Amino acid sequence: MIWLGVLIILLMAILGAPLFAVLLAASMLGFYSADIDLAIVAIELYRIVDTPLLVALPLFTFSGYLLSEANTSTRLVNLMQSLFGSLPSGLAIVAFVACAVFTALTGASGVTIVALGALLLPALRQAGFAEKFSMGLVTTSGSLGLLLVPSVPLILYGVIAQQLDLGEPFAIVDLFVAGVAPMLLMLLMLSAWTLWRHRDGAIPRVPFKWRNVGSALWEARWEVPLPFVVLGGVFGGVFAISEAAAVTALYVVLAEVFGYREINLRQLAKVARESMVMVGGILLILGVALGFTNFLVDAEVPQRLMALMQEHIQSPLSFLLLLNVLLLVLGAMLDIFAALVIMVPLLLPVAVGYGIHPVHLGIIFLANMQVGYFTPPVGMNLFIASYRFKKPLTELYAATLPFMLILLLAVLIITYVPFLSLWHMG
Amino acid sequence: MIIVPRQDPINSVIAFLKRCEDALLVVLLLGMIGMAAGQVLLRNFFDSGIYWGDSAVRVIVLWVTMLGAMVASRDDSHIRIDLVGRFLQELDKPLLQATAARINYAFTCLVLALFSWASGQFVYYEYVDQSIAFATVPAWICEAVMPFGSGIMALRYALHVVKLP
Repeated sequence: MIWLGVLIILLMAILGAPLFAVLLAASMLGFYSADIDLAIVAIELYRIVDTPLLVALPLFTFSGYLLSEANTSTRLVNLMQSLFGSLPSGLAIVAFVACAVFTALTGASGVTIVALGALLLPALRQAGFAEKFSMGLVTTSGSLGLLLVPSVPLILYGVIAQQLDLGEPFAIVDLFVAGVAPMLLMLLMLSAWTLWRHRDGAIPRVPFKWRNVGSALWEARWEVPLPFVVLGGVFGGVFAISEAAAVTALYVVLAEVFGYREINLRQLAKVARESMVMVGGILLILGVALGFTNFLVDAEVPQRLMALMQEHIQSPLSFLLLLNVLLLVLGAMLDIFAALVIMVPLLLPVAVGYGIHPVHLGIIFLANMQVGYFTPPVGMNLFIASYRFKKPLTELYAATLPFMLILLLAVLIITYVPFLSLWHMG
Repeated sequence: MIIVPRQDPINSVIAFLKRCEDALLVVLLLGMIGMAAGQVLLRNFFDSGIYWGDSAVRVIVLWVTMLGAMVASRDDSHIRIDLVGRFLQELDKPLLQATAARINYAFTCLVLALFSWASGQFVYYEYVDQSIAFATVPAWICEAVMPFGSGIMALRYALHVVKLP
């Protein structure tokens, strides 16, 4: 009887029922089979209220939506261009950095490709970069920055990992610091490859002008202080993450609505509604998943999985390799939030059993997801870019391939050199 | 001459309720920003704060979650693991697609109805207990959004089942 229920739920998941319904059904079935009052599922969902960190999620998401509705993308690119545009292959490097910053702020929801891609693609072509290279850059950079504060998937991983409480406590700020070096490694490797590929000097260099920096800074005057407020506040210990999120949201509203006057009140309401619908979907899944996770832990599923794994795989190295393959495939197929909520509770206890630190696993997880976004045949970035730039998917597969190989190499380095993620943890 | 289509009274009531839902969502978010940012300012510059402020903000997060999910149910834009869906779309068999969607909607409606009932029980226990969430606000009022929201969502999915061609 119970197994029939499990079968039906699995079938519904594959058939495309909403994820929250699938998880809700699974945890209700689980608690029902354990003779526990179903009201427990509501108690678990109500735990959203006991998790202060979660306040950051709606606030950062709203800020990101608002920034992408305003002309922030243009100002960001102009500023980066005035600063780094004079380097060899400058515009490509500008594009990497701008995409990373923008994705960290807005989440890798495809906004980066739509907003920045449309801006960068013609500019890259004009600066002399080949179409294939430009297209590949824009498509792959749509998820670059997933590891950078305050990316929502990074915060969500922290929430889930802390709920699991595996005896390796860490502060959420540790996770934020951990993402920085791997992110820089990716940027460095991509830039190095870009420089090497264009070593013949075919791309004309743009002279550096203080005047351009000045005018770009003036244009972005309301937004330039934002990263300092957020990063300074969090890393300087002035505020908690949720407080930084609140200050950010307030600041962005003041800057875009009253500073630039680019967003009127009607648009503000629209952005608020859209972002909260997104947040509602994510948090509902998280809330019911917390209940489901508790059921799994009660039923000792992670322990059994662990025992099963250790029977077949002894060395942490082969476990990590397997993990990378699994996550890449999942990253291409699943929505990132779905992947986080389903896989972290199962994978994290096993990974800790192999001696992998939760913070390191988080970085590995998200780095793989980032590459999964443009892994053929079904990575989401490929579809968005194909739709946005009206190019056939096969052309994008070819264009993204070199970028993908470089980032895969970066993911391997991040995976096998824990120091990159854990240097600050003592 | 322009012919104005006659507005069905039921449809206009539904449209009005939807607008209320949207407005409440926006008000809750702005309230959350104001309250949370206000706490930071009060604490850092005036060394004070509202002692139940943080709890209130966290309850608003739950309300935003349920309301956001309710709005997402209107056009069923919830996150899903869409493996078969994409495949079905490529097959171009509208009847098969509609059947799969109908089964999905019915399943979702059933699960939500069950949850609405279960969370209603939880709210009832809390009502009997008279527990307090923050300040003088009783916990059951904060929690009531769960049975209410999931009930509305169940209704919406029931409508999706009926409305499919």
